[in-house]
Amino acid sequence: MSLLRQQGPALAPASSAPAAVAGAPTAGGRSGRRSPGRSARSRHRGMGLLLITPFTLLFLAFLVAPLAYAFWLSLRTSTLVGGDHFSWFANYKQTFTDPHFLSGVRRVAVFGLVQIPLMLGLALLGALIIDEVTSRLAKVFRMTLFMPYAVPAVIGALMWGFLYSPTFGPVNTLSHALGMGKVDLLGHSLMLTSLGNIVTWQWTGYNMIVLYAALQGLPREVYEAAKLDGAGQIQTALRIKIPMVSSAIVLTLMFTIIGTLQFFTEPRVLEPTASSVISPDYTPNLYAYNLAFQYSEFNYSAAISFSLGAVVFIGSYLFLFATRKRSGLK
Amino acid sequence: MTTAAAPAPAAPARAPRRTSAARGRVTVNAVMVAMILYFLLPFWWLVVAATKNNDALFSTAALWFHSPASFFDNLRQLFTYNDGEYLRWMGNTAIYAGVSGVGATAVATFAGYAFAKYRFPGRNLLFSSLLGAIMVPATALAIPTYLLLSKVALTNTMWAVILPSLLNPFGVYLVRVYVQESLPDELLEAARVDGAGELRVLFNVALPTLKPALVTVLLFSMVGTWNNFFLPLVMLNNDKLFPLTVGLQSWYQGALIQSGANALFTLVIAGSLVAILPLIVAFLLLQRYWRGGLTVGSLK
Amino acid sequence: MSSTRLPRSLRRTAVATTSAALAAVLLAACGSSGGSDSGSSSSGPVHIKVWAWYPDFKQVVDQFNKTHKDVQVDWVQAGVGQDEYTKLKTALKAGQGAPDVVMLEFQELPTIQLTKGLLDMGKYGANADKGNYVSWAWNQSSDGDHVYAIPVDGGPMTMMYRADLFKKYNLKVPTTWAEFKQEAVKLHKADPNAYLTDFGSDETAAGWRQGLMWQAGSRPYTYSASKLPDIGVNLNDAGAKKVYDYWGDLVKNKLVDTTSYATTDFYNGLSTGKYATYIAAGWGPGYLSSVAKKTAGKWRVAPLPQWTAGGSDQGDWGGSSFAVTTQTKHPKEATEVARELFGTSEAAWKIGIDQAYLFPLSNPILNGAYFKQKKYAFFGGQQINSVFVPAANGISTFDWSPFQDFAYNTDTSEVGKAIQGQTDWSAVNDDVQSQVTSYASKQGFKVNK
Repeated sequence: MSLLRQQGPALAPASSAPAAVAGAPTAGGRSGRRSPGRSARSRHRGMGLLLITPFTLLFLAFLVAPLAYAFWLSLRTSTLVGGDHFSWFANYKQTFTDPHFLSGVRRVAVFGLVQIPLMLGLALLGALIIDEVTSRLAKVFRMTLFMPYAVPAVIGALMWGFLYSPTFGPVNTLSHALGMGKVDLLGHSLMLTSLGNIVTWQWTGYNMIVLYAALQGLPREVYEAAKLDGAGQIQTALRIKIPMVSSAIVLTLMFTIIGTLQFFTEPRVLEPTASSVISPDYTPNLYAYNLAFQYSEFNYSAAISFSLGAVVFIGSYLFLFATRKRSGLK
Repeated sequence: MTTAAAPAPAAPARAPRRTSAARGRVTVNAVMVAMILYFLLPFWWLVVAATKNNDALFSTAALWFHSPASFFDNLRQLFTYNDGEYLRWMGNTAIYAGVSGVGATAVATFAGYAFAKYRFPGRNLLFSSLLGAIMVPATALAIPTYLLLSKVALTNTMWAVILPSLLNPFGVYLVRVYVQESLPDELLEAARVDGAGELRVLFNVALPTLKPALVTVLLFSMVGTWNNFFLPLVMLNNDKLFPLTVGLQSWYQGALIQSGANALFTLVIAGSLVAILPLIVAFLLLQRYWRGGLTVGSLK
Repeated sequence: MSSTRLPRSLRRTAVATTSAALAAVLLAACGSSGGSDSGSSSSGPVHIKVWAWYPDFKQVVDQFNKTHKDVQVDWVQAGVGQDEYTKLKTALKAGQGAPDVVMLEFQELPTIQLTKGLLDMGKYGANADKGNYVSWAWNQSSDGDHVYAIPVDGGPMTMMYRADLFKKYNLKVPTTWAEFKQEAVKLHKADPNAYLTDFGSDETAAGWRQGLMWQAGSRPYTYSASKLPDIGVNLNDAGAKKVYDYWGDLVKNKLVDTTSYATTDFYNGLSTGKYATYIAAGWGPGYLSSVAKKTAGKWRVAPLPQWTAGGSDQGDWGGSSFAVTTQTKHPKEATEVARELFGTSEAAWKIGIDQAYLFPLSNPILNGAYFKQKKYAFFGGQQINSVFVPAANGISTFDWSPFQDFAYNTDTSEVGKAIQGQTDWSAVNDDVQSQVTSYASKQGFKVNK
């Protein structure tokens, strides 16, 4: 779905994880108090520094430095004719009135409003099922849903591209057989739905496993007791399980929102086959990409990326603020 | 055990309950089967399509076999086309995923452990910027990273793909949480009192306990690199260095934009199938470990 | 990492880490050693790195290397089409990493040239080749005595058609666009699932649409690198409007299909007889015979329909050239490679014609007997180049813009909207004109109509 998703696993955002983070300094403090003497403490400090050094170097080289460089780029204006000059925040002023950028933000917002609840709803349903049912079918179910995660987004979009085909794709064969005529899955009106389907296919299983991990971490006694009181499985799920993993839900939701705002890979892979629908400004991230790599507008592209980063940052901060009680993050 | 006791109190209501429970079971199973079919559909298509020749691919039913014998023909072509460049890409991918996977895991383990168990200057600042790190779109980093790497002549080398992949903020986060949850200070202190040095504590006491977290970080880092498309696409100009994703895309692109006499669709499809098999097998075989790793946060 | 043996000191780990890193370096170095150093030592031949994505290009490179002692070509396939340009632009921006010689389609030349990325080969004797190439191609590759590229292949447009289907439905091979429409009506009436052709609505077909406008006399740009910042932009001239009025009418009346060219559905249509004609370029026969193998023998080639009966106006879609980048350390040798890889070499062109289906722009090859008289089994033994060669020679000059990607993308989006009925076809050219004009002005050009 987004680029960040390719970089690694999300943590299991289970109930206790955020609390543990919040409590982290205490843990360090405790070990400090216990350390036998000054030399030991400084030895610890040296050891800590040593262990963190590789990460710090990578962090500086591949995150801080490129970001600083990109920020510097974004403060300059360049045109194809006439070179470039320092222009302070002129690029930023332009981004927030740029119809290409704004229409992209609107598009991913609409996309997210429909696709995210659907996908996470499915993921939660799946997680509740495999938490409760232990049959062989449930095992097959768990692995099948997770499998798309192991498929490169490029190949995923390629497979769906074939399946969406108006002439030999199964969807159209079916609709033809039912006498409903041609369904243009790659046309203007259905493109977002088709993209949403690819994303849902690819990421439902992953989110399901994360939620399942959180469910597995719950103390069994609580809802066994509820069952004793005569609560059905559905009631147990709705009244006990879901509230107890709400912090995990909130965090998967937040990562999904971030991923959606950075929507890129799927539209980029489908772009060549549907270029009259997926315009270069289809999503903000795709727009930034095309500005830099197709039009050589490196400076303005950097400004678009930072503006998108700001939208993401504000969006997730507001979201965390609104749900702070549930997520336990402060 | 509570489970054993459960049926007893329910006994009075047994008869009506059971039918509704059975109905519930049928519904749940139906839901599972429906979802399995949906999620399997593209895989099924891929397997079927890999057994077709170019003509059959475009003219026969998409979801059923036509000329299964073509599968071996496609495989032979796949591995021999253009002096076997597919095999080279596969080797490259294995190197990228292996080296960055192991490296990223090592870096994340040391860092996560340090965050959890040591105090050092800049600790809080560094950690709080982790969350910020994932909000940066990779497109924003691509150009500047490329320009910076080109200043030290590292673009268009394997390093250009490996080095940025070593940075895995999620892995650090995961290890830190895991260390805090599963490695009490008392255990470490006890080892220290026994005279173990800091490194001995790390390697002998901490690492064995952290195994599920390490397998998880390793597996997910490797998958991240194996599946990465954008970074190698930007960094590499030499098809001999391509990983599978970029290589397959270049075949596909070539087939689509009518660049010449070769329509490589069958190769792209067979190549896709072969490319995703190793990962699916790895996930299936190692699922006990990585599911354990993902559960870490919830262990009390 | 999880080894139970204990390093005693920090130094030991440092050593271990370093050696692990070294091992990784070696591993990576082994993988990347292939052909990455194009530098030359004082002895031995100069190695020139070439990016290209021609089919069967390896044999052409071997052929060159066999016949040259002091210069050797190291070929790299850096990406196909847009992917290669992206890499080239980034490498040029970074100041390093570009190859010595690069394959570029004609419409990309001004864009790359504007970034000062292309070497003027005129200084290295390339002007001597002027007479070797058809004039419109040489014009697109040069600016007066400045030579920025050496033409390789072209895409003169013709109409390929299914002779068997034409016979079955009793269609007449159209010689004018008016007749083309009549036959389109007739075919679609006879078989509602079949179309006379497919209107190329996607970005891949932007060059196809431009080629048809080229034939209709449209000249959207007046541009020369030496006259910067002046540029003439006239994307809504009479020729352009004529083409979209015509095709818009066919699309609206569902007389032609609108499937994107860069899709398997399109190729499927070619091989199943859904499309009775394929309006395409000089490199089209290669593609057609590859995607529609089972229709071998059923196709024929006819000249592009004309706007006026008896006319002979032509257009071009695609084609490419070799340019030398300004990052090369061996401008003389790189120029030699660009001029001679294909050039007028009969051996290289035999590979290019027979295996890669490239359409030569080199006069001696183009007008040579071998090419003109070659019979193609796929086209029922027809000497198709008796149609293609006059088309190539009949093409008149045409300028590209230095922001061609933007122009093509804008045109594609607007065409997409018109097909969906969101805007009217008659507005497409004007909308594209106003968007491209304002873009060009913003980029510092002085835009004239």
